[in-house]
Amino acid sequence: MTTQSISFYERVDGALHDASLKTALSRATERFIGNRAGAIGALSDEAALRDTARAIRAGALSRLDELLAQLATNVESRGGTVCWASDGEEARTYIAELAKARGVRSIVKSKSMASEEIHLNHALEEAGLEVVETDLGEYIIQLAGETPSHIIAPSIHKTREQVSELFHQHLGVPLTDDIQTMTQTARTALRQRFLKADMGISGVNFGVADEGAVVIVENEGNARLSTTVPRIHVAIMGIERIVARMEDLGVMLQVLARSATGQKLSVYTSMISGPARSGEEDGPEEFHLVLLDNGRSKILGGEYAEALLCIRCGACLNACPVYQAIGGHAYGGVYSGPIGAVLTPLLQPDLPEAYMLPQASSLCGACQEVCPVRIAIPDMLLRLRADAVKAGKAHPVEKAAMRGYVMTMNNPAVYRAGGRAARLGSRLIGRKGRIRRLPPPLSGWTHGRDFPTLSGTSFGEWWEEREKKRKEAAQ
Amino acid sequence: MSRDQILSNLRTSLASSRSWLAGEAQGASHDIPPYVLPPADNLADQFTAELRSLSGQVYRVGDDAGAVGQIGAILAEKGASQVIAWDMREIGLAGLPQLLAARGVALAATDIQGGGRHDRLQELEPASICISGVEAGIAESGSLLLRHGPGRPRLASLLAPYHIAVLRSSQLVRGLGDALAQARSRYGDDIFTATSNLTLITGPSRTADIEMTLSLGIHGPQEIHVVLIEQAAAAR
Repeated sequence: MTTQSISFYERVDGALHDASLKTALSRATERFIGNRAGAIGALSDEAALRDTARAIRAGALSRLDELLAQLATNVESRGGTVCWASDGEEARTYIAELAKARGVRSIVKSKSMASEEIHLNHALEEAGLEVVETDLGEYIIQLAGETPSHIIAPSIHKTREQVSELFHQHLGVPLTDDIQTMTQTARTALRQRFLKADMGISGVNFGVADEGAVVIVENEGNARLSTTVPRIHVAIMGIERIVARMEDLGVMLQVLARSATGQKLSVYTSMISGPARSGEEDGPEEFHLVLLDNGRSKILGGEYAEALLCIRCGACLNACPVYQAIGGHAYGGVYSGPIGAVLTPLLQPDLPEAYMLPQASSLCGACQEVCPVRIAIPDMLLRLRADAVKAGKAHPVEKAAMRGYVMTMNNPAVYRAGGRAARLGSRLIGRKGRIRRLPPPLSGWTHGRDFPTLSGTSFGEWWEEREKKRKEAAQ
Repeated sequence: MSRDQILSNLRTSLASSRSWLAGEAQGASHDIPPYVLPPADNLADQFTAELRSLSGQVYRVGDDAGAVGQIGAILAEKGASQVIAWDMREIGLAGLPQLLAARGVALAATDIQGGGRHDRLQELEPASICISGVEAGIAESGSLLLRHGPGRPRLASLLAPYHIAVLRSSQLVRGLGDALAQARSRYGDDIFTATSNLTLITGPSRTADIEMTLSLGIHGPQEIHVVLIEQAAAAR
């Protein structure tokens, strides 16, 4: 939330000048990219598996009304309760009131982007409830009072020294640079939270319509504990995260794990259908499924419906040269990277500057290349840019520049004169072939990078000269 | 009501995008082979190699007596006095109850339902070992599929730092798709009738949330020990 108080440009600027962020980002994204490439490359038929994954997701979305109703009916027939939430407010209210009605004091949470999207923790804390994030990365950023910077690795922007300092401050343990020691510190601290919790809140990776089950994928075991130990389990699911049949998981779990972390399968995959049955010694007494719309049903009917195929693997973040340079926080929304630049303007349209995020892309296509369901992200980013211009949201400088560009390109004399002026100017302010600072209104360009000085001659002049010499030599 | 509103919105939206989505859905078959890697010569070898690559332990034994001996060795090494386990009949390993009795290892009371849940959890917490059976072993990924339910508590593969799982080679399948298809053919529409939970376990609990450095045992077991009984292979 702190990230939203300053402008998008300032956040990008801050990120570009943050050396430790740069190190953390390149370390993480390189590792993710390498792991993913290995795991995807090992498949017998990678293309077929991804085609199938896309077909499964598209098929599910094409029947979303029917499948969602089927999922809800099956959950209810297994003894669970379903909350249909049109927006964040309805979801927050339902969960807070449930907690109040059941005398809940303490809540453990496992990672859920949907809950981040609706700022659930804040609402629960306002209601006087104690909420603890239990995924290690989420726990770290909760202690730091920050938001996740990556879908899969929420705390990749933190160094071990910063984590040690946080644990020292909040848990009173000695400083250490040993990561295994820090992990054990978190295990010990969080274990007691689990055992004392009255309610566990989780996200959902896939809802399985035919079984009335939710699937939760993780590596740490915190989601298993959150959904097994407390007497109440609340699962929050974006309504688009559905598959028709349990058998579809044979494809979806494979592409998710391989695309996200390069694992063949994540360490733990829980398939949960309703509360504990009679005779089950553990598991929750109550199971609640919150189906969160929050704009998704509208997106489904528009030209960005394809974005709803996303399975939140994070591969496009890692592959994106812009994400690699600025990290997740700079995007300002809950979802970052290329898919975040698409989703944020759609899911969080009220976020100031959400319309600018589609600009944070070089349109290189790396995101689409790695997407396990082959979402055409660059196309959507281009269309979103056009939408923003049509809505009159383009920056005044950009508008003026575009008008100038049109005029210049339509008028050869202006084009030549402009080129001469630019080359002269570039020689005046450049040093050793670099320009450190362009004058306004172009100064934004050189804020985080140098600009090369222009060549002394234009291509047109060079060509003329070359032709002249050729003719002379021929004579 | 929000249910009707959401479903109505979805229908309105689908009126314009259903045909595109349905077209995309026909872009590929939804049924792929139930495995994703090239074939291996031997499922037990593949399973073993995969799980070991994740720092899991695999012990290959010839019969139940061998399995009990191996579990005895692990109990001794870890100095266990209390285990969180599936009902002995659900594990189905001849000689295991006798081993635990002879070693003086107590079976923790795993029922946490009803009042006093928090107190019973605190009593379970000190146990150092979990013992469970499995529904299937998946060779391609070194995974175990556990079907929980009465007599098969989830905590018996989760709460303690060391998890021992008993797997028979007859339970090995090639890929995840095989394991799901097997569950379907075995239980039909009743996969979740008597249980609320199926869990896939692939190696020990892990995290790389601090500087992308791998660290084991963050919340679940830091060690997983699979005792693989290869009796069926010998009989074939």
